Amino acid sequence: MPEIRVTPLGAGQDVGRSCILVSIAGKNVMLDCGMHMGFSDDRRFPDFSYITRSGRLTDFLDCVIISHFHLDHCGALPYFSEMVGYDGPIYMTQPTQAICPILLEDYRKIAVDKKGEANFFTSQMIKDCMKKVVAVHLHQTVQVDDELEIKAYYAGHVLGAAMFQIKVGSESVVYTVSGNLGHRKGCLVEEREEAPPHHHILCQGDYNMTPDRHLGAAWIDKCRPSLLITESTYATTIRDSKRCRERDFLKKVHETVERGGKVLIPVFALGRAQELCILLETFWERMDLKAPIYFSTGLTEKANHYYKLFIPWTNQKIRKTFVQRNMFEFKHIKAFDRAFADSPGPMVVFATPGMLHAGQSLQIFRKWAGNEKNMVIMPGYCVQGTVGHKILSGQRKLEMEGRQVVSPHLSLPALWIPLGWVEALGTTTCADGPHTAMLQLEVKMQVEYMSFSAHADAKGIMQLVGQAEPENVLLVHGEAKKMEFLKQKIEQEFRVNCYMPANGETVTLPTSPSIPVGISLGLLKREMAQGLLPDAKKPRLLHGTLIMKDSNFRLVSSEQALKELGLAEHQLRFTCRVHLHDTRKEQEMAMRVYNHLKSVLKDHCVQHLPDGSVTVESILVQAAAHSEDPGTKVLLVSWTYQDEELGSYLTSLLKKGLPQAS
Amino acid sequence: MEPAEDWLVESLRLYQDFHAFDLSGATRVLEWIGDKGILVAGYESLKKNEILHLILPLRLSVKENQGLFPERDFKVQHGGFSDRSVCDLKHVPDTRLLVTSGPPGSYLQVWQLAEDSDVIRAVSTIDVHEREEPLWPRVAIFPSVAPGVLHGTRLSSLKVVDLHSQKTMYTSGVSDDDVLSSLQVLDMDTFAFCCSSGRLGLVDTRQKWAPSENLSPGPGSTGRQWCAEAGGRGPGPSIARLGSDGQLCLLDPRDLCQPVSSVQCPVSMPSPEPELLRVTWAPGLDNCLAISGFDGTVQVYDVTSWAGLGRQVEPLFTHRGHIFLDDSGMDPAPLVTTHTWHPYKPRTVLSAASDASLHVWDWVDPCASR
Repeated sequence: MPEIRVTPLGAGQDVGRSCILVSIAGKNVMLDCGMHMGFSDDRRFPDFSYITRSGRLTDFLDCVIISHFHLDHCGALPYFSEMVGYDGPIYMTQPTQAICPILLEDYRKIAVDKKGEANFFTSQMIKDCMKKVVAVHLHQTVQVDDELEIKAYYAGHVLGAAMFQIKVGSESVVYTVSGNLGHRKGCLVEEREEAPPHHHILCQGDYNMTPDRHLGAAWIDKCRPSLLITESTYATTIRDSKRCRERDFLKKVHETVERGGKVLIPVFALGRAQELCILLETFWERMDLKAPIYFSTGLTEKANHYYKLFIPWTNQKIRKTFVQRNMFEFKHIKAFDRAFADSPGPMVVFATPGMLHAGQSLQIFRKWAGNEKNMVIMPGYCVQGTVGHKILSGQRKLEMEGRQVVSPHLSLPALWIPLGWVEALGTTTCADGPHTAMLQLEVKMQVEYMSFSAHADAKGIMQLVGQAEPENVLLVHGEAKKMEFLKQKIEQEFRVNCYMPANGETVTLPTSPSIPVGISLGLLKREMAQGLLPDAKKPRLLHGTLIMKDSNFRLVSSEQALKELGLAEHQLRFTCRVHLHDTRKEQEMAMRVYNHLKSVLKDHCVQHLPDGSVTVESILVQAAAHSEDPGTKVLLVSWTYQDEELGSYLTSLLKKGLPQAS
Repeated sequence: MEPAEDWLVESLRLYQDFHAFDLSGATRVLEWIGDKGILVAGYESLKKNEILHLILPLRLSVKENQGLFPERDFKVQHGGFSDRSVCDLKHVPDTRLLVTSGPPGSYLQVWQLAEDSDVIRAVSTIDVHEREEPLWPRVAIFPSVAPGVLHGTRLSSLKVVDLHSQKTMYTSGVSDDDVLSSLQVLDMDTFAFCCSSGRLGLVDTRQKWAPSENLSPGPGSTGRQWCAEAGGRGPGPSIARLGSDGQLCLLDPRDLCQPVSSVQCPVSMPSPEPELLRVTWAPGLDNCLAISGFDGTVQVYDVTSWAGLGRQVEPLFTHRGHIFLDDSGMDPAPLVTTHTWHPYKPRTVLSAASDASLHVWDWVDPCASR
């Protein structure tokens, strides 16, 4: 029996390390290779020894697929390929391919250069790892080898996020991550032509069922995979609407600006930053606000560069805007100059990087942190060890380096000591660099965290299952006991099996692959001649000979099969004796049998032959006297195997006796 | 800009907080379970309806809004499926049990929130005997060590049943067949009832049926339907009775004979579905109540200076979010199915509508900012 095996290796949740091993028809695929950002020891990477203890990973794995650029989905990739050792292909979409190394390098800097972690990958390893990447286009079927093929679908969520369909022969899996599915009522995703039923897996990382300001909603066709794998992180939540999140953001910005404060919004160059700019621009226009909005230098070029590259990945509105004008030619939003940070009065600044670990966002933060009128809004998750993470954890006093640190990997711009800083107790000397004054910064400004990340909630997951119509659903990264209701809901609504393996636990799904069989025209015509048109809802019995030749299956008529194979037909007959208590003569007996069968089998050709025997199709009935008992007659019944059904019926009929002569 | 966006900008001024959720089905039930959770349930007929136990995001359940609460989503803590529509649902205090009612009203269903999983299981039923579709029994709970379930479709069928032993502890024993619209337990021994006709009364279960009553909602009440709630905070009258044409009467429980005041609320039309009429007293504000069931709005009133009969009044605040954020394209706009006040956030209200939306809003008192 063919089967699909799935083993989640990751830990799930926001900071988890997504990694799922799938075996399908003898092919092994690893879905995502994430890192756990809450740990700095071995636990930060998935336990790859699960995959194979002895052999080389490259021999065991046929390919690796990365769903999107978030580090909990791709952060362990250089470790996996360069340190553990994997030389096979790594598939991801083009935006993911472009953004993933930037994030990996950022993270490496924080982990190694700032936190001093050991056993970490190097910049060169990131580069070497990315050389193994094969970029895939949306809806493009990529042939990994002769049997294994993959196809990417749009997942919303973040730029370049994709759901993947993995197919081997007639088996397939779909993998999705939390993205945006067109979740609001009336906004259901478009329906396209239906794919023929296949056995495959739909694999899904993060996806979003609601379109947002810069990305569209996730979409998948009715591909009816054998299995749909999806994350359960948000499966038990009911999401607050995007509009309310935006409203809250506007309210916070507006209130701060109204009271004369400054708002700092640290962002990663891509994605949400554009979305928030569009939002603020519209709001400023409408409210006729005068406070300046800036975005940091570098952000513009970077963002435009990537957006031009990946414009097909954004939503229609953005695409249209791009045709008309540069995405960052805003009326109210201007490029930031460092000197502006000291200008009096309210302002809003978007600055990179998003986690306040270096660069312009950190510089501005240092300047503004001491004033309680100001506000910093963190729009995303921050890695442990960053200033962003510290202030989000509620830390109000921060130890910070006061002068430039020179390191081979990290070159922070010159820092200065702003007002409101308190000189720390002493200074420390770095062995490899100049003196670094440790300063204590008191954070008086308001700190806010607003997550704009687009994830599908319980309703979104149900919609996706409804769209793809899988035969089985598998939820990863959750606690089975806390998801019993969701399992029941999926099973009831879609009549499919729902599995929820724990990390490290393998689920084995038996599959029933469909085997296509060609039917000869002659056979079909013969069926049609009987006057019955085929009806998909009513199965019908069809007799024929199955020929299996060169991995092809054909159903033909027996005559054609004999002819094709050059075989002579053998006759096979069944015989049976029926004893009836009757004193009449044999001829008279045969006549009574004839009359009885003629009256019962009206649709068949019943004949009384001159030799006294009776025939019905190939069935022959002869009456004889019993050798020992003259009061008993014997009916000899024989028929060919083709008429087995009729022969058995006729025998049982005769066993019941003949009707009394009237 | 589309109307929804216009309204959202307007909402910056109107609300301190505003959250909009999309449930899997519309609910008529918003029942608090503890002060961090609510229960919602579907009411569609001929369909499996979900009963959900939702946990509020931390920012909506903390007493003092300090620190960062990035989480804004409801979490499904427990869920179950009901074969019948759920029109009324009560949590039995200090237990994991729920009692639901709805058509066909031949029995009440008792449910249990599982301890070891996230499932809500049907555990037993309470027979109602008389079955009068489309009517269904109203339910209220007498909390105690042996909780009593007060239920009835008409005054004549009112009874209290011990939840565990199913023994009948109290029956009204009257032949009055006025149809009930609301039941409310007030303390260990007394409850309030209101009939669709507007008749309302307070009943002491220790005595034979002798309620202190108000029989007449006033002239011209034919065809109107009523609901009521007791529990107003502050020095004024503490019972409010709402009619399907928007008439609102305030009564003093010590003297139910005459309403203290009777006013006309500005509703655009009589309630299209009087079963959805709701009037609720704010637990954290003096002399403040909210009404819904007429259209897509919830109106909040300050009743402090109401006196006399027949006055026109203006709401203190009107929540229009269900109209503006409706993406369903439903025509007419969705109807608010129920609302409830947050137990200790004075100006926070939860409201649900027929388009399956659930809003949580903390309105800004327009008087306070003047």
